[in-house]
Amino acid sequence: MSFTLSILKDVSFAFVVAVGFAILFNTPRRVLYVAGVLGGLGHGVRFIMLQYGIGLIPATLSGAVCIGLLGIIFSHRVHTPPVVFTMPACITMIPGLYAYRAMLGCIRITDLGLLRQDATVVTITAHYFVLTASLLFTLAIGICSGALLFRKRSPKSIFRRIF
Amino acid sequence: MENIITTFPSEEEHASAPACRVADLLLDIGTVLLVSGAHCGRITRNIERIAAHWGYQMELFITFTGMMVSIKNIAHPSERVARFRHCPLHGVHFGILTEVSLLTWKVAEENLPIDEVEKRFAAIKKIPHHSRWLVLLGIGSACACLCILAEGSRANACMAFLAAFTGMFVRQEVLKLRFNPMIAFIAASFTTGMIAGIDMVWHIGSSPEKTLATSVLYLIPGVPLINCAIDLIEGHIPTAISRGIYGGFILLCIAVGMSLSILLLGIHNF
Repeated sequence: MSFTLSILKDVSFAFVVAVGFAILFNTPRRVLYVAGVLGGLGHGVRFIMLQYGIGLIPATLSGAVCIGLLGIIFSHRVHTPPVVFTMPACITMIPGLYAYRAMLGCIRITDLGLLRQDATVVTITAHYFVLTASLLFTLAIGICSGALLFRKRSPKSIFRRIF
Repeated sequence: MENIITTFPSEEEHASAPACRVADLLLDIGTVLLVSGAHCGRITRNIERIAAHWGYQMELFITFTGMMVSIKNIAHPSERVARFRHCPLHGVHFGILTEVSLLTWKVAEENLPIDEVEKRFAAIKKIPHHSRWLVLLGIGSACACLCILAEGSRANACMAFLAAFTGMFVRQEVLKLRFNPMIAFIAASFTTGMIAGIDMVWHIGSSPEKTLATSVLYLIPGVPLINCAIDLIEGHIPTAISRGIYGGFILLCIAVGMSLSILLLGIHNF
C-alpha cells in the first residue's frame, strides 16, 4: 500500500473513532463532524511522525497539540467550547493496548510461580504502566495547550488576540 | 479577581438580583457543569461571568462531590451570602456544557434578567442524551476502527464491534436497574471480555490479542482522567486528586471484569 493511501486510511478510521466517542459524550449533533475532523487530523499527524521514526510520546504530543490549537479556531467558527470536540478527538490516541498489557502484567504478578519462571514480568508491567500514564498526560497537555501558550483564560479571548 | 471589579456595571443598569437567588443559581449551574464533565477552570470562568454581570464578587470552592460559593455585592459590601450544595451523580454530557457556555455569554451581551436566566437554565438541564441505539452503533464502530488502527484484521474488527455493542447494551441495562455504577462497569467489561475472548479461543483473525485490548476502550474514563491532568496543570489540586482516584477506580473495575472473563475462558498464554 502506498504511503498516501495508508495515511488516508488512518485518518478516515480515526474520524469514525472520534465521532463514535463524541456520540458517547453527548456532543451536540451539529458539531459531531468537527470532532471527527480534529480526531482524523491529530491521529494523521501522529501516524506520519511515527512513520518517520519519531518516538511514540513526542508524536502523540504533536498530534494532541495540533488538536488543541485547531480546536480553538473551530470553536470560534461553530460557537462551541473547544473541549466538546477536542476531548473525543484526543480519545482516538488513548493508549488502550498499553493499558491492557499493564493490566495483564498485574494479573501475572499475582502468580508467584510465574514470577519465579520469568522475572522480567515486573519490569515490563512497570514499563507499560509508565507509558500509559505519560501518554494520558500528553493528551491533557494537548487539550489545554491553547490556554498554556497564550496566557489567556477563555478560548474566545485567545481567538480575538490572534486574528 | 481585579479584572472583574473593573468591568462591573453600575446598579441602575440592571434589574436587581437578590444575593440568595444569585448564589443558588450559580451553585445550580456549577454543580451541573461539574457532573457533565467540565474542568474547574471552565466552571469558574462560566460562573464568574454571571456573578460579575449582576455586580457580585465571587469566591468558589470546588470539590468532586460538592461545591461552595460565597458572593459579595460590590456596591453594598454588607450584602453577602455563602452556600453549599452536593453534586448529583457524575455522567458526561457535553451538550449541557455547550449550552451553558453560550448562556453565560448571553447573560452579559443581552443583559438578561435573573428570571429569564433561571428559565433558560431549567430548559438546558432537560437536554436529552443521544438516542440509545445511536450510542450503541457509534461505540461499536469506534471500537472496531480502534481495532483496525491497532493493526488488527477485519475479522478482529467485526468481533470488536460485536463485543463493544453488547457490552454497552449490558451497561445501559444494568444502570437502568439502578445498580451501583461500578457494578455496571464490571458487568460491561465482563461481557465484552467474554465475547472478544472467543477470538483467542477459536483463533479468529490474525491478531486476536488486539480485539480484547481495543473492544473495552469504550469504558475507559477518558474525561475524568484528562480533566484530572488539566486540573493539575491549572492548580485545582483537590478536584484533580478526586478525579484521578475516580478514574483509576473505574479502570480497576474494568480490569476486574476482564480478568474474570479471561480466567473463565482459560486463556493462559495471553
